[in-house]
Amino acid sequence: MMLKRNQIIGVGFFLFVIFVAVPWLIHVSGRWDFYYTLTSVALLSIASGGVWLTFYIGRINIGQGAFALTGGYVAAILVVKYDVSFWLTIPIAGLFCAAVAVIIGLPILRLRGVYFAMITLVLTEVARLTALALPITNGAKGISSIPLPGELSILGLTLIPDFSTVANVKLAFYYLAAVLMVLCFAGLYRLVNSRIGHLCRSLQQNEELASSIGVNTAYLRVIAFAISSFLGGVSGAIFMAISRSIYPASFPVKDSVDFMLNCFLGGLGYVFGPMLGTFMIYFGWDVLFTTGKYQLLIYSAILILLILTLPNGVLSLRIFNKRGTAK
Amino acid sequence: MEQIIANGLYLGAQYALIALGLTLIFALMNVLNFAHGQMYVIGGFVTYTVYAQLELPFVVALFASAITLAVVGALIEKFLFRPVIKKSVREESTMLLAAGIAFFLDAVILLVFGEKQRGVPKIVNGLFNYDNYTLVMPYDKILVGFLAILSITTFILYMQYSKTGRAMRALAQDKIAAQLMGVNVERYSMIGFALGAMLAGVVGGLLVSITGVNLGMGGPTSIKAFMMVMIGGAGVISGAIAGGFILGMMESVGLTVLAAYGDITYLAIFISLMIFLAFRPQGLMGKPWG
Amino acid sequence: MSALLEVKGLTKRFGGLTAVNDVSFDVHEKEILSVIGPNGAGKSTLFKLISSFLPSSSGEVLFKGQRISNLAPHIVARKGVVRTFQETTIFKSMSVRDNVIISHHLRSQASLAGYFLGTKTALADEEEFGRSADEIVEFLNLGEIRNELASNLPQGHLRALGIAIGLATNPSVLLMDEPFAGMNHDETMRTVELVRGVRDRGVTVLLVEHDMPAVMKISDRIVVINFGEKIAEGIPSEIQENEKVIEAYLGSEDDEIGM
Repeated sequence: MMLKRNQIIGVGFFLFVIFVAVPWLIHVSGRWDFYYTLTSVALLSIASGGVWLTFYIGRINIGQGAFALTGGYVAAILVVKYDVSFWLTIPIAGLFCAAVAVIIGLPILRLRGVYFAMITLVLTEVARLTALALPITNGAKGISSIPLPGELSILGLTLIPDFSTVANVKLAFYYLAAVLMVLCFAGLYRLVNSRIGHLCRSLQQNEELASSIGVNTAYLRVIAFAISSFLGGVSGAIFMAISRSIYPASFPVKDSVDFMLNCFLGGLGYVFGPMLGTFMIYFGWDVLFTTGKYQLLIYSAILILLILTLPNGVLSLRIFNKRGTAK
Repeated sequence: MEQIIANGLYLGAQYALIALGLTLIFALMNVLNFAHGQMYVIGGFVTYTVYAQLELPFVVALFASAITLAVVGALIEKFLFRPVIKKSVREESTMLLAAGIAFFLDAVILLVFGEKQRGVPKIVNGLFNYDNYTLVMPYDKILVGFLAILSITTFILYMQYSKTGRAMRALAQDKIAAQLMGVNVERYSMIGFALGAMLAGVVGGLLVSITGVNLGMGGPTSIKAFMMVMIGGAGVISGAIAGGFILGMMESVGLTVLAAYGDITYLAIFISLMIFLAFRPQGLMGKPWG
Repeated sequence: MSALLEVKGLTKRFGGLTAVNDVSFDVHEKEILSVIGPNGAGKSTLFKLISSFLPSSSGEVLFKGQRISNLAPHIVARKGVVRTFQETTIFKSMSVRDNVIISHHLRSQASLAGYFLGTKTALADEEEFGRSADEIVEFLNLGEIRNELASNLPQGHLRALGIAIGLATNPSVLLMDEPFAGMNHDETMRTVELVRGVRDRGVTVLLVEHDMPAVMKISDRIVVINFGEKIAEGIPSEIQENEKVIEAYLGSEDDEIGM
């Protein structure tokens, strides 16, 4: 991969900020609660990154909450009932969600526009109802008191220590989430800038023409949706480990809508958009917490005003336009 | 068996009325009204306030719900959707706006009506008992079902025969042609939105007498409405009615037949819906698209 | 001459309406064959049937003896039968060159995973696509605007871009959807030259068209349809004198026969 010099500097600076500067600042200021906030932002932006990819093939996906919930439950059930190592459950949860996405995606990805949006939104609600109903998910009580992640070692070499022995669990989870976020977005960046990304854009711009030049549009759509859901599942699995519990209401419809909003706010044409959007929305929501019962009112009012003034997204602002095409 | 069908018809009548409002708005403006469920909840709370708290007759309360929502709908169309539709270049913007409005109405409901579950005194007492308990239906459910079917009939007649109804149908069929024929698009979009919101309010008012109302009912109601619209075909009146009755019937059957396996009715309905859409993406009555 | 593409008894019914009725003809290798007919004769339905963008009610299309009708469009393209669209169908938010590069998809040697990892095959593909795209862009006189955003192009260039996209797939047969529609005389003559150039590259061309003078000028053979049925087939001079054809065109309201 060829990177330009200022890109390398930018990436280096970003890595420095999240892995060195942020922990140092938190240490100095003593605001340990920020770890939880930033960990959440990292995990939510992984899920939003998946949603962004489905946007990239031209589908409005409001179903990511369903996959985050599924991933969380898969990991929780494996850890609690089958005593599987948490580290193994992360990829399993992701792959399980990807498999579900393939099965569901084959019929529903034929739908476009509001139709796809509607059915994915329905999917979110169905996932919640299913979690309530199935015996293995333990109904409304959910699964709680899940043990912290254990040790990860290969050939006797400890790669990650047992989380119950580390001095600062919050920091440990922060690093875990941050590393995965970096991997996720490096992967997405590579994907989008490779020929696969161009093919995805060809789908977004004109599916008929894409199939006329021999692109197997159905296959590519399912792949993108599976990757998206894989990311949703991974993010859900780690959320489960942090909160050490999972409930049917852990990822409600509002989360699915938020994942979509994150992508919009950050910009649909720009790989790192969902990261920026998640950061803005999560912090905005957190800041509004101080307004008590007016939180949702102010939040939604700001949202509506934003759409009224910038109906084509924050990225329609001129300063962003220069780099609006993920190049 | 008779009981399942009766329950299905009762549910279906309510659902059809909800779906009608959603599909009307979709047909006229190509807007997916995420806030439809919240409008339904507001309708419920208004009826609760007028009927249970101010102790006015139920009919008055229903009218109050209808009028409140019609006004809310008209305002939302005029000041929110209209400017955004004018300026935006992609259909996602209206969807986002609708999501924002859904959150906003949720917040308003929380502040004005609180988060407690509210119920009202029974509108009529007694139980209809047919053939020694093969079919049991409380009279208030029968009355509500009857009122819902009456509203649906009125709506269809209005759309079919009134000048406004005809104008809206023309608009739904072909915006540009309707414009050329002299239909005032802005005016009828507003009336249509108000009418759609009003239908949601009427159902909310009707159902508060049976199930009560609470803040959390909005989202799930919107989602049910989406399912009905997908079953029947978006933007088609007959489709909304068919979708409503089909979902009501499926729910009624599912709750009885699948009860032994836990509450997986909606999972089963969703899977059937997916399989159905794989073969017929435009729904039962919808026009092919895309 | 051997038949490369065989259309056999192709029929399409929409409800009670028969849009295309039992149409049969052959397309020979390296010829330019035009399908013409008055407005509403079923040309565009026939076109969609041959390119598999519509399933046929009965009959079939054979390419090199293999059935291609009712397959998914991308599989038909993979076999070497590729269609072009009228001007609005392009990848709007890509540059001209990117439009052509992406359309080399069928020539890919590497897998999707290969592209993601940047394997040797993938890099070789990219280089080859770039080179070939430049060549095609030059061939269609789009060299000067290769980096323009496709949505900014004027109509004439869009038509050429459509042909470029088709050529990039390396087709055996290129199906062209009204390549001269809406053009003035000069533009038409330039596009006629382009289409001839395409044939000279060894591509068989089947085009559906309205513009009679252009068709007469360019075609090796012509098939005429009216009311969904084939009424004549032959070389241009035969068609020009065919009673049925003249009648069909005089009978139609818009008289664009121009002969």
